[in-house]
Parts: sequence; C-alpha cells; structure tokens
Amino acid sequence: MSEKMAISFTVNGNRETREVEVGHTLLKFIRDELHLTGTKSGCEIGECGACTVMLDGKPVNSCLVLAVEIDGKELLTIEGLTENGELDRIQKAFIDHAAFQCGYCTPGMIMSARALLERTANPTDEDINQALSGNLCRCGAYQEIREAVKAASKK
Amino acid sequence: MLNYSYVKCKDLTQAYDLLEKEEQVYPLAGGTDLIVGMRGGKFAAKIIVDIKDLPELKILEENDQGIVIGAAVTLNEIATFKPIIDHALVLAEGAHTVGSYPIRNRATLAGNICNASPAADTAAPLMVLNAQVKITGSHGKRTVSINEFFVGPGQNVLKKGELVESVLIPRPYPNGTGVYLKASRTGSVDLATVGVAVQSWDNKVQVAVGAVAATPVRAISVEKAVNENGEKDLARAASLARDDISPITDLRGSREYRYHMAEVLIRRGIEKVMEV
Amino acid sequence: MAELKTVGTSVQRKDAIEKVTGSAQFIEDRYMGPMLHAKMKKSTVAHGKIKNINIEKAKAHPGVKAVLTGKDYPNKIGLYLIDRDFLAIEKVRFWGEPVAVVAAVTEKAAAEAVELIEVEYDELPGVFDPRESMKDDAPIIHEDLGSYEIVPIFYPKPGTNIANHFKLRKGDVEKGFAEADVVIEKEYYVPQMQHVPIETHKAAVQWGLDGKLTVWSTAQSPNVVRQLLAKSFDIPMHKIRVISSYIGGGFGCKAGASVEGLVIPLAKMFPGYIVRIVFNREEDMQGTFTRQALFSKLKTGVRKDGRITALEYEMIWDGGAYTEYGVNIVRAAGYSSTGAYDIPNVKTDSYCVYTNNSIGGPVRGFGMCEMQWGIERQIEEIAKQLDIDPLEVRMINGMKKGSTTAAGQVVQDVDYHKCLKTVADQIGWGKKEGKFRGKGIAGLVKCPAQPSNAASSAIIRINEDGTAHVMIGATEMGQGMLTVISQIASEALNIPIDKIDIKVPDTDFTPYEWQSVGSRITYTCGTSVKRAAEDALGQIYRIAADLLETPQADLTFDGKMVYSTKDPEIKATIREIADSCKKCTGEGIAGPIIGRGSFVPTNMTNLDPETGQGNPGLFYCFGATGAEVEVDPETGVVTVLQLAAAIDAGQAVNPQLCKSQLHGGTIMGLSTALYEEVKFDKGVMLNRNFTDYKISTIDNTPHIESFIIETPETNGPYGARGIGEQPMIAVAPAVANAVCDALDIEFNTFPLTPEKVWKAIQDKK
Repeated sequence: MSEKMAISFTVNGNRETREVEVGHTLLKFIRDELHLTGTKSGCEIGECGACTVMLDGKPVNSCLVLAVEIDGKELLTIEGLTENGELDRIQKAFIDHAAFQCGYCTPGMIMSARALLERTANPTDEDINQALSGNLCRCGAYQEIREAVKAASKK
Repeated sequence: MLNYSYVKCKDLTQAYDLLEKEEQVYPLAGGTDLIVGMRGGKFAAKIIVDIKDLPELKILEENDQGIVIGAAVTLNEIATFKPIIDHALVLAEGAHTVGSYPIRNRATLAGNICNASPAADTAAPLMVLNAQVKITGSHGKRTVSINEFFVGPGQNVLKKGELVESVLIPRPYPNGTGVYLKASRTGSVDLATVGVAVQSWDNKVQVAVGAVAATPVRAISVEKAVNENGEKDLARAASLARDDISPITDLRGSREYRYHMAEVLIRRGIEKVMEV
Repeated sequence: MAELKTVGTSVQRKDAIEKVTGSAQFIEDRYMGPMLHAKMKKSTVAHGKIKNINIEKAKAHPGVKAVLTGKDYPNKIGLYLIDRDFLAIEKVRFWGEPVAVVAAVTEKAAAEAVELIEVEYDELPGVFDPRESMKDDAPIIHEDLGSYEIVPIFYPKPGTNIANHFKLRKGDVEKGFAEADVVIEKEYYVPQMQHVPIETHKAAVQWGLDGKLTVWSTAQSPNVVRQLLAKSFDIPMHKIRVISSYIGGGFGCKAGASVEGLVIPLAKMFPGYIVRIVFNREEDMQGTFTRQALFSKLKTGVRKDGRITALEYEMIWDGGAYTEYGVNIVRAAGYSSTGAYDIPNVKTDSYCVYTNNSIGGPVRGFGMCEMQWGIERQIEEIAKQLDIDPLEVRMINGMKKGSTTAAGQVVQDVDYHKCLKTVADQIGWGKKEGKFRGKGIAGLVKCPAQPSNAASSAIIRINEDGTAHVMIGATEMGQGMLTVISQIASEALNIPIDKIDIKVPDTDFTPYEWQSVGSRITYTCGTSVKRAAEDALGQIYRIAADLLETPQADLTFDGKMVYSTKDPEIKATIREIADSCKKCTGEGIAGPIIGRGSFVPTNMTNLDPETGQGNPGLFYCFGATGAEVEVDPETGVVTVLQLAAAIDAGQAVNPQLCKSQLHGGTIMGLSTALYEEVKFDKGVMLNRNFTDYKISTIDNTPHIESFIIETPETNGPYGARGIGEQPMIAVAPAVANAVCDALDIEFNTFPLTPEKVWKAIQDKK
C-alpha cells in the first residue's frame, strides 16, 4: 500500500502544497522531499533529538510525527533561522562559545534552544538543562551549549 | 516507511466507527508511542485514525466536576495548567518526567495510559488522585476508575470500538500535597525503574507505584498501615509495599532493587507530603 | 621560539557557519545521482554453520535489483589481522552478523526483501566470556586462524581462540616483588560500551561506467578504506576514490573500514548507480565496533615508602567475533601497562580472545580507559594499605622527564605531577566535606597507537592573489582538525587564517594520511602541514630573491609583502610573487607555488616479541581528573559535585577547541563511569537503542573545571601534541575513587549505576 495525500503547510515562511506518502514521517519528508537536510536522523524513536524542528511554534521530534500531520501547520527547520544570510542570535552564540563539535546534533539542539528562548526569555541553567535534555550530543559540548544559550538570551 | 491508511477524523463518531468496524485500527493522538511501536513491529497498524485535532478531545478545563483533560491534550499542556499545578501537582510532576520536552509537546495523557506500560509516569499520579477515565464508543459512554483501567502490560479495559475521550481529576480535590518520585538509571530522560506517587488527603495518604508489577498499582498495605493502623514508623509502613507489588528484573533494574526502591521512595514520598 | 601569532589563539572554527546553519553536508545529505538502497540480512544465531540461504523470494520482490550472499565476496578484510568476512560465508560468528545484502529501488523494498530471505543454521555452541574462550575445550571460532594474513607484530595462537598474545617483560619482576614490603593483587572488569555517534555508519558507492569506484563514506580514514578495499577487491588504488564528508562523530567506530565493502559488489552489478547503505541505530550498535570488555588481574609490589617495585598484569580482552583491529588495542594496552607510572619491573600478558560477542574494536582511549582503570584503582589500594595519601602514591611513582615506560621507552616533555596537582588543588584535595561525600583523583597517559611508519602528508597551493588552499587527508569529525591545521599553516606561512581554505578529504585530490585516529592529527598532519608551509614559504623567498635581485637572507615576508630588511623600498607583493612571477623584462621566474610536506615517525621502533621492549610511542600525553561526589546511601545514586580535568597539550593550538576536547572527553568518560554498559545474553545485544542504552545528557552533566597544561612537545608542531582521546581515560577511576572515598567500599568495575552502588552498600553491611 502506498497511499498519498495532498497537504498544505508553511515551511520556513513559504506556503507549500505537496502530495505526501502517508507512511512517511515528517523527518523523511523534510529531508527527502523538501530537501532540507539540516534536520538529522539519529535514532528514529524520539530519543536523540537530532531531528528536532518546530511545528506551530513548538519543538517536536520530526521522527515521531507523520508527514500528513503537518497539514495546515507551520513548520520551522534550521534552514529557516537565517534571514538573508544573517545568522540568528543562537547560531551566533553557538559559534562564539564553540558549542558544537561534529555538528550533527547541532541543528536539533539549536531548534530546542530557540523554542526555549521563545517561551523563557532569561533561562536559568536548570531551564536550559530541562529544555535540551532530549538532545543528545555525544561529542559532549553540553557545557559550551549551556553557555551559548545563556549568552544568546542576553542579546 | 510504514504500510497503513491514514484517516484524519472529522468527529469522534467517525473514529470509533472505524475502530469498531475495521481490524488493526489505531488511534493517533500524540503518536510518540504509536510510531515507535509501529516501527519496532509492536503495532501492526492497517489504519491510523488521527484524532488529535478533534476539538472535543482538546478540552483542558476546570468545571464543577473537576479538571477535565481531553485525550488529545499534551503532557506539556498538563504540566503547565494552573488548576493542575494548584490541585494535582503530583500529576504535573509525573507528566513532566515523561520523555523530553519535544516528546511532551506531542505525547498525551490518554496515550500514556492507553499504552498501559507498567512504568507510565502519569498512571501512578492519576491513581492517587482517584482519576476517572471517560471512555466513549459506538455503544455509548462509560466511566472507569483509573484503578480499574489497567489490565496488564500493554493492556487496558478498552473494548473494540472504544477510545478514551478524557480523564477527569474529580472534585473534591485533595487538600494535601502530592509528590511524584522517580528512580531511573540516569536521572534524565529515561523510563522509570520505579515511580511512586504519594498524595495526602486530610491526614491520610494514597500511594501508587509504577514499574513494579504488571500494571501500576496502589500500595494498599502501606495506605492501610498509615491511614487505619496509625503506623508512625514510615519505613516500616513503606516496607509493607512488598505485599502489593511483584517487580521483575529487566534492563533497567533487578527485582530486588525495585522492591528496595519502592520502599525508599514510598517512605520519602510520605515524609514529604506529611512534612515529617 | 619566536612569538606566535595564530597558534595559541582561539580563532573561530572553520566549519562554524556550516554547522550552525545545517548546511554542513554529511554523507546522507548529498544527492549524488540515481540511487539504489542496500540493506543487510543479519544472523539470528551467535555461532552457527550456514546450512542454506534461500534468496529466491527476496529476488522476486518488487523493486529488488539484486541479492548477494557471502560467496559473492571471496576475500576477507582487516586492518591488522585479515579475519573478517564482508558477509558471512560458511559460518556466522556473532548475532547480527550480515549474511546477505539486498539492493532495491527504495529503502522500503530493500527492507521488505530482507525479511524474505530464509537462512537455515546449524547452531554451534557459542562462547561469550573470553576467559572461557581461552580454555582448551572451548569451541573454536576461527578454525583457519593459522592461515590468516597478519601484520607480523601480532602473535595469534592457531588452534585456539587467542588472536594475539602480547608479552612484555621489563626488569626482573620476581626481584621487584622480593623488594616489596606489600603485595596487592586484585581482579578488575570493564564491560563493553558503545561509541554511539549521533550519525550512524553510512556509505554510498558508485561503480563508474569507466571502471572507477567512488566511495562516499563516514570513514574516519579514507586512505585506509582505499587501501583495504584495493586489497580485498583487487582494484588498483588509482581506480578507487574515497570521499569523507563531515563526520557526525567517530570516537573510533568509524576507523578502519566498516560498511563500505558491503555495497561494492552490488555497485559493480549496476554501473552508474549509487548504491547506498545507511545503518539504523540498532544496526550501528550491534554491527559495528564495540569497546572490548576486559577481565584483568593486577598484582603490584610496593615498598613502605610508597615506591612501586613490581607489577604483574594479566589482561584478557573480549575481542568479539573478529579482531582485525582489536589485536592492536590489546598490544597498545600491553606496552602501556604501567599507566602513568615509572615501574622498574613489569611482567604483562595481554590476550586478545575471540568470542561470539559483537566485534571488538577501537574506541576513544584505545584500551587505555580499560587498562588504566585497574592501575588507578589499585593505587588506591596501595595507599590504603600503606596509609599514604593516594595522591602522594601517584606523585612518588608518576612519570617524570627521563622515566621509562613499560616498554622501556624514555619519556621527555612530561609534567604529569603538575596535572595531578592542578586537579587536586581545584577539588580541595584532603578536605573531607561530609558523610557520604568523597573525593577521587586519577591520572592518565596515552600515546597514539599506530604503526611505526604511519605517515601524513600535506599540500599547500598558493593562489595567484596570495591566498592559500591547504590539502590534507585527515577527517573532520568534530575534533576541530580543520581549524587547528589551518592555524598551523597560517602560522608557518605567515598568511592570515581567513586567507586559508581547507576542506575534508577526497583521496583523488588530497594527499595521503594514514588515519584520523589516536589523537595524532595535530602532531602528524600538523607537522606535514608546517613542512608544506615552510616549503611554500621557501619558494616565496626564492622567487622574491630572483625578482628583487636581493639575497634571500635579506628578505622578510609579512603575509602581504616581501621586502628587504636593508631597504624597505625593495619589495614585492605576494600577488606579484604568486601569480606566475615574471621579471620586468617579461621573462618568467616561476610558476604557481605548491608547497609539499610529509611526515613519518623516526622515533618509533618495533617491539621485541618476547619482552615487548622498544619505542612504541610517537609522543606521550599526560593528564589527570579529579572528582568530588555525594552518594545517596539508600538509593545508590552518585551525584558528581565537582569535576576537574587537566591535560598537557604541549601547546594548545586553539585553546577554546582544546577545552572543547577536554570537556567532551570528560563527559564521555563520566557517561561510561555512571551509565554505560552493553548487555549481552549469549551474544544477543540487549540494549541496542537509546531507550535502553543511556548516555549523558545536558541535565546530568556537571560543570567541569578544565585546565590546559603546556609542557612543549619538542618535536610537535609549535610544541603541540594531540589530546583528543586522553581526557576520557581518568574519569571513571577518578569518579570511582571518589565513591570509594565516600563509602569506604571497593569498586572493581564500572559503570557505577545506582543499583550497583546500592548493592555494594548492602554487601558491606
């Protein structure tokens, strides 16, 4: 069975209408159909957070959302953070604090951080820890990430 | 890629009609257990009925009956809903320990209990709050106490064609405090090795424990000792939980450690709510 | 040394913008052309003869293009001991071993077809404990061990399951024990762990219509992949091109060759197509390298004054089903077997033993975490028995300039004592903070484990405008190689770093690099880059001398301009020099400037087969970790209150990135200290996803106080040495030592899970 459905949604500010396979996750759709490859796959069971994107303003694991579910919704991926080539404040802070190493978890980490700063303007270490605990970084940039998110919140 | 048909439900009737008439139909609310289960081969779904955006399931409100939590309400919504924080903090705490923040943006309370994992972090809190599960289906509506909802690992009382519409935290609310204590391997995003909910009502306590039996269970023996027999030695009271639970050994902990941790967390929980 | 400009500064990472915007391309992010998807069929028994494989149903499945089995892959593969089949041929040796591979037009069709392959096994008795596996009556896992090709520095025992027996004899161990006042003997166990980089193993392969094989891979070491594939598939090297993109974490599991070969025969069947394989998390965990478990026995003799006089170390490593790489971990642990201490008399036997568990292989630390766990725990026992401060025991026996390693190599450029003292001061050593609180310190040393002739090379192209391209074969997996290597080039060339471009490797265009492993790239690749820069700079001076008709000795280059120190009016811009320089008469002087540099160690030797004596270390990096913990005696939960880490980097090329490595290694070490253990049931890996296998998260990672010590490495580029793996090594013992201090209980294994700690407390009662 390979059922398709038409859906309309906004991705990084652009309206789109697409036919999607109902069997596909949002992660697969973002990467293979929208070709937004900044969103990464790391576990496909919602444990690593590499696929974190924002859906209607909230961070979600795109491996645990079906592509069809975004009908009528607003999707923001890492590619939507830069405007006219200008990095957002979190991206800049991640660079300043070297808050990444291999960079594979980074897009998901930044999306979770962005969602945090949208709901909590001045997060404490504990807020940051809670918000990012679903984003695994095996390189162990956690200390730098905490510093970067704090610094970004002050900008 | 998975093989199934997808139906975005227009109303509840459509959902339970499909659940009634078709085979291998699964409701999709948060999807966080469903999609993992389908991928891992636990659920062989042929039809997925998406109920997440049905307005009647999005209800999160306080009325004269109590706090109504619709089946599509997410755990993050629950953990930050003021009446829950004010009157049912134990549930907010339990909900907050499920998965990570992005998971809790999708995962629902109804999903957490319908999945019926013995380790479900909202189950024990609901038990000590005397929650009622509102079930709906083609044969009408019924209400089941959360204490009767779980049947076994992955099994609940829902019959074919039924789904959970909402969960009610009934009035009167407990006038004491509640706490959810969770032991896990990492103290971070993790399943419970043991999860304990304790709620005080007047000078009495209600205690429920997760991940120590085939279903989440009430620690009746402990409650009896404290509430009826006036046991003041809380360690001794907590040790009676051994009669109420029958943990297994798995990757997260041994039977022996679970027995021990249930005792410790129950005692600590009671101390906390009684401000000992 | 002249004052440094770029080296020693925290310049921005070269990969920074790509990585924070999601535009950094990893293998799976590239669209390369029409694609077929490959998927493995895995064995369902841990040890068994393959009776029959029926692939007919799978072949007939819609979308399937081909199904191959082991007989389609005649040659074995291996880095040091060529013992590994791409696909199992006559028998399977671990649960989950690939037995067939499918290529299909979609991932879904490939996955479905795999389910249609029917394999019948005659199950054989398995062996899952290397100590059992060494016994005479153990089932033999590799019957043909005697005929395997092997690098002749390893010593397998054909007819047994011993893939390598490394022997080390230094001094006179009997005499050493006779001199001792106290002899301590203990057993230790370190379980398997997994690297779990967030990016799994992936490879895409294209067999070109012209017969050229292109491999895109998550490989840490594209040159080694090329070498191994060339040998296994009998293809000349110029017909193989291996491209490594950015790598989403390596930690050793992407060293050597892994998944690439699986898809090559498929690619050969469909010239022009890209055949891609992407391991899912479960495949990645059970099908690639696992850190070898270690069962060890350690006996030390010590005088009353705290001086260790003798050490006898027996290590039995669980090599798993294939030990093509693991044999060298066992060797490295053997020749390093005194840890960071100068011990005159040593007898070590380190055995790499086949079992039917998952394949053992390299992990950050390369045997040092496991081996030095025993050393650092036993020092605590020594201190206890002699009633001397354990820090003092470390100070008394710690290596200094001129000390000799277990292998008898003399170490230079060492300040291990400063590392120890730094972390001790930071955590307030000697002050007991309360009941159930404790402090612990552990030290570490590690040299790169590499062949004595493991080489590096570099090419620097100076563009017509004086900007430069640095070309090297090292890979960027997060460690910051691109940035550090650019800094070394910038320093040596005197060209600003923002005028230097550098990219990840492509074996058709970038020069040879042995492997990006062993914390060696800053030193080895850095040295070749420095030499290439010096070569280019020499050309700049020679050309300028010719152009300006001025002796080279009178010229100086400031990055933009070459001018005479005697007459600043005699000058030429770098553009004039680099852009195919000509005289005012129009006569050409020189074409484009291309600097070349290469490096091969000259200070390493083979080791004596009987005594293990020789020079196995290119350089030695020392460090220390200090921890303070609080234990909840009821639950067994260990909370780390303080964590301090010091590493002797020689010269931090980029202090910010150096600290990143120090923090990252410490966090990985802490994760293994408290949580990580791969669990097997008769070879079946039980915790093979992130729900069951837990690693550190941000919310259980404490703040780390980190210290870079700088005792310059005489032969390192600008005094630098590599530090990538080292920070992990001392963490588990430091934390365990702190827990032991808190509870007065010995722990001879880790992770220190709440349950394990609780159980130890119960056992003590």
